[in-house]
Amino acid sequence: MSAVWRASRAAVRRRRVQTFVIGLVVLMSTMTVVIGLTLLEASSAPFDRAFAQQRGPHAIAVYDASAVTGAQLAAAKTGVAASAGPFGTATLEWTAGGEPRRADGPMTIVGRADPNGPVDRLNLWRGRWASAPGEIVLASQDHSGDGFPVVDSITLSGVAYRVVGWAYSLSGTADGWVTPAQMETLRPTSVQMLYRFAGDVSTRAAVQARLDAVTAGLPANALSAAEPYLVAKEQIAADIGVFLPFLATFGVLALIVAVVIVGNVVSGAVVSGLRQIGILKSLGFTPRQVVTVYLVMVSVPAVVGAVLGTVAGSLGAQPLLEEGFEGLGLEAGIRVSLWTWGVGLLGVPALVALAAFVPAVRAHRLSAAEAISAGSAPRRGRGTRAQRWLAGLRLPRSVSLGLGVPLSRPGRTAFTVVAVLLGVTTVTFASGLADSLERIATVQEKASGQVLVIPSDGKSRIAGPRDVPPTGEPAKTTRTDAEVEQLLRGLPDAARVSAVRGTTVPAVGQTEPVRVLYFRGDFASMGYRDELTAGRWMSGPDETVVPSELMKERRLAVGDTITLELGGRRAALTIVGEVMDGPSGQPGIFADWSVFTSLEPDRVVAPHEMEYQVQLKPTGNVAAYADAVRAADPGLDALDMSERRSDFQYIVVGFSSTLSLLLAAVAALGVFNTVVLNVRERRRDLGMLKSIGMTPRQVVAMVLTSMAAVGVVGGLLGIPVGVLAHGYIMPAAADAAQVSIPQSVMDVWQAPMLLALAFAGVVIAMLGALLPARGAARLRIAEVLHNE
Amino acid sequence: MTATQGYIPRPTSRNRVRPYGAVMTTDTDVVHLTDVRKEYGDTTALNGVTLSVRAGEAVAVMGPSGCGKSTMLNMIAGLDRPTSGTVRVGGEDLGRLNETKLALFRRHRIGMIFQFFNLLDDLPALDNVALAAQLTGTKAGPARRRATELLDELGIADRRNAFPATLSGGERQRVAVARALMNRPALLLADEPTGALDSSAGEQVMDLLLDLHQIGQTLLIVTHDERLATRCASRVIELADGRITRERTLERTSVSGAGA
Ligand SMILES: Nc1ncnc2c1ncn2[C@@H]1O[C@H](COP(=O)(O)OP(=O)(O)O)[C@@H](O)[C@H]1O
Ligand SMILES: [Mg+2]
Repeated sequence: MSAVWRASRAAVRRRRVQTFVIGLVVLMSTMTVVIGLTLLEASSAPFDRAFAQQRGPHAIAVYDASAVTGAQLAAAKTGVAASAGPFGTATLEWTAGGEPRRADGPMTIVGRADPNGPVDRLNLWRGRWASAPGEIVLASQDHSGDGFPVVDSITLSGVAYRVVGWAYSLSGTADGWVTPAQMETLRPTSVQMLYRFAGDVSTRAAVQARLDAVTAGLPANALSAAEPYLVAKEQIAADIGVFLPFLATFGVLALIVAVVIVGNVVSGAVVSGLRQIGILKSLGFTPRQVVTVYLVMVSVPAVVGAVLGTVAGSLGAQPLLEEGFEGLGLEAGIRVSLWTWGVGLLGVPALVALAAFVPAVRAHRLSAAEAISAGSAPRRGRGTRAQRWLAGLRLPRSVSLGLGVPLSRPGRTAFTVVAVLLGVTTVTFASGLADSLERIATVQEKASGQVLVIPSDGKSRIAGPRDVPPTGEPAKTTRTDAEVEQLLRGLPDAARVSAVRGTTVPAVGQTEPVRVLYFRGDFASMGYRDELTAGRWMSGPDETVVPSELMKERRLAVGDTITLELGGRRAALTIVGEVMDGPSGQPGIFADWSVFTSLEPDRVVAPHEMEYQVQLKPTGNVAAYADAVRAADPGLDALDMSERRSDFQYIVVGFSSTLSLLLAAVAALGVFNTVVLNVRERRRDLGMLKSIGMTPRQVVAMVLTSMAAVGVVGGLLGIPVGVLAHGYIMPAAADAAQVSIPQSVMDVWQAPMLLALAFAGVVIAMLGALLPARGAARLRIAEVLHNE
Repeated sequence: MTATQGYIPRPTSRNRVRPYGAVMTTDTDVVHLTDVRKEYGDTTALNGVTLSVRAGEAVAVMGPSGCGKSTMLNMIAGLDRPTSGTVRVGGEDLGRLNETKLALFRRHRIGMIFQFFNLLDDLPALDNVALAAQLTGTKAGPARRRATELLDELGIADRRNAFPATLSGGERQRVAVARALMNRPALLLADEPTGALDSSAGEQVMDLLLDLHQIGQTLLIVTHDERLATRCASRVIELADGRITRERTLERTSVSGAGA
């Protein structure tokens, strides 16, 4: 073995460039794969992980406080692994002078002494837990954006509370928490029990069966409501599902690139070592020993690369994970898994060994005599016809010679083209993705205006995502709804204004009431019309357009009619179109203001029940306009909604640009390796060309030309693949998010972008080829001829 | 340059018995080719060659370029297989050995010298030589000691740490000879050993081969240099178009037949 070890070690040490390239390619591929897998894994089971971390309840049970005692509940423990409660529960109205502001419907407030415990360990991400009467902790994700109401006090059913903290329950066990003592004063009519069960809880039926076992000994109608954890799980799965198509695409691309490049590099190492193989064989190395030399030569840098790549990938994935899943309240417990480490540390080297296997078998089979002669001169005959044809073209000689190089090693050239192709595919896909997401953001921003004005109810105030929370006593506007609209239209730079009132209205034939958005003003021309994904825009008060999410949820179709019914009055609206998503917040069907006046003719709308969306003139300044609104009426909160990009967009764009940069770099390394091998094999030709007077510049031109051709071909083939991937993945992701996207979002492939992408392949090829080309130009003729 | 007893292989007594096959004896032919043909596609490189080489003989193979000399040598070294016919070396039918057995055969029995040296570029001269012994299981220390001795006797001990790329052609060929002698081969094969060398370096290599022959090394030298053939060989075989066309015995150098 020691002769084998000696030969391998010498090969690793003396072939620095090859060792370095293998190491670096493996490093970067491993990094890409680890990041991809980590994100993929994080998004495939994030709920379970975070749920386990929070010790989430398998069932949230609400009991009638008058039908069962706390002692009875505490005693009912059949099949229960852990439980929390009973916690007094009250349903309170967020009385901000009228309708609830943040969400529709009443709020569930629970009395709890602390955020921890055996079940439902809350993530208290801001402030502290309620410890005194009059204090409340509100439920929210660890997420300060999205115009979330920044309040330090809130009034619930006529009682004012001081908000001392914010906590997040993945399972949504409450909308707010107060101390148990405080809860007593509210005289709760129900109590909450949180259960974690032992045994199977994989289906709703299984959870129900466990719950039945617990409640078996309790009074008959004690249990008034129960929710299995699967409800929350399914909802989160839909949120996360959006990421999966993107992650899967990049993950698959990274794996293919890794295999292609590693395979090419390794087989290049074998091909360029043919003479070496022949010598080893003539000395009496057995075929197996020769294969071992080659595997060791490749494995040493590959293992080093895999280790470093795994570490770098884990470090690189961490910030993406934290950024990415924070917004979903799932950041807890997400880290690079053991499994991913295993793939990086064992899987990638195994892949390298596999990639090395084919060329190694070739080394095994090759007769020694053939190997020695094949090593000293590249095979003749291949590509000679094409070479002659090229020579006949009126090109500079160095260019036509350069173009001939790829033809003499068709296999290697094909691999290199594939590497560039995949690099360009990734870049194309990532660019299209970024552009589409930007378009979605733009359409949304345009539709709902850059400034959102919300009149205060005099009790709470609302700050925009990047605004400092308002301070001081909330003032209530003295203006009427119509006067507010008039004011907003009159301020400088206002181009369009629409007024919206969102409310839920019972509909004939629907079990649940429908959320309706009554619009007044310029809403159609502002841009909601651009969000159309099917049908046409509404042309009269008897027509409506519906956000795609609602269409899917209610199984509606264009052509259906929704009949709203309120106080004995009816309004039939025909669905004539579908829009992407409408204004932010809960999706609702669009209706003309006149529908509202016909349903509720006597209703006088208070300004704080309204939202006003303002679109500025192209030259308008958003901050200045918002300031002007506040100055004109302190009772109006103006939110800067411009340039508001979702976390989702940041994550996907950040992630895809990171990975496409990595993959492009790996592709460039593939080219680098090819050029190094080509130059090494053609040293004699190069020496000869230089000896007859080719200048270093011509040598560089020749080598670059050889790869420019590869770059052009790879680029031209990579673009359509990237475009196809985009066309397939975008709708799939939208589908996972339960929305449809308008065609305009998909139409990102315009000439400038395509032109830029067409260069991507050449850029990748040139970056990879430049260094070895200069090395070739610097070859010393005497040295080359001495050694050949 | 004089070859001393130190590195001269003893094909008779000092060769250890190898575990893999028949023991070579001096009273049989070391090489025996029977009607060997080799075709490469349409090219017939060897067209029915029958040839014997006795132990202690030095045979020169001559002929114009492309007549099949290297092909014949490759067959004898087990580097390639004939299309038909049998190749027996040291009583062993090479056609019946698999690749691994062929490698073991080469490792223990054959020393090869090429026109273009074929040293491993990645190893310094000393390790190029020592590697051959390490292959047969000799530990690195003793292998290097013996390699140093050989390089010293060939007059290039001072270049032992140089990599092949920095050596002159003559120096490289001497390193290659040292490597070929490392395992005391029963048969030394040389394919145009002076072909890439200038005349003085060529002379040195010729002296070396002559010394080896005189001490009893069985030699098969491919060359188209008449001088090399007449100086070193006891028999000259002429090849043309893959056939043996002429054979002559040279009287004055046949000293070692008695050595057997
Ligand atoms: N590996 C090979 N593939 C194809 N043809 C070969 C190969 N090796 C040798 N030949 C051909 O066989 C013939 C004999 O070659 P060779 O034995 O190398 O001649 P030489 O006598 O010059 O050493 C030549 O025509 C050569 O082209
Ligand atoms: Mg020859």
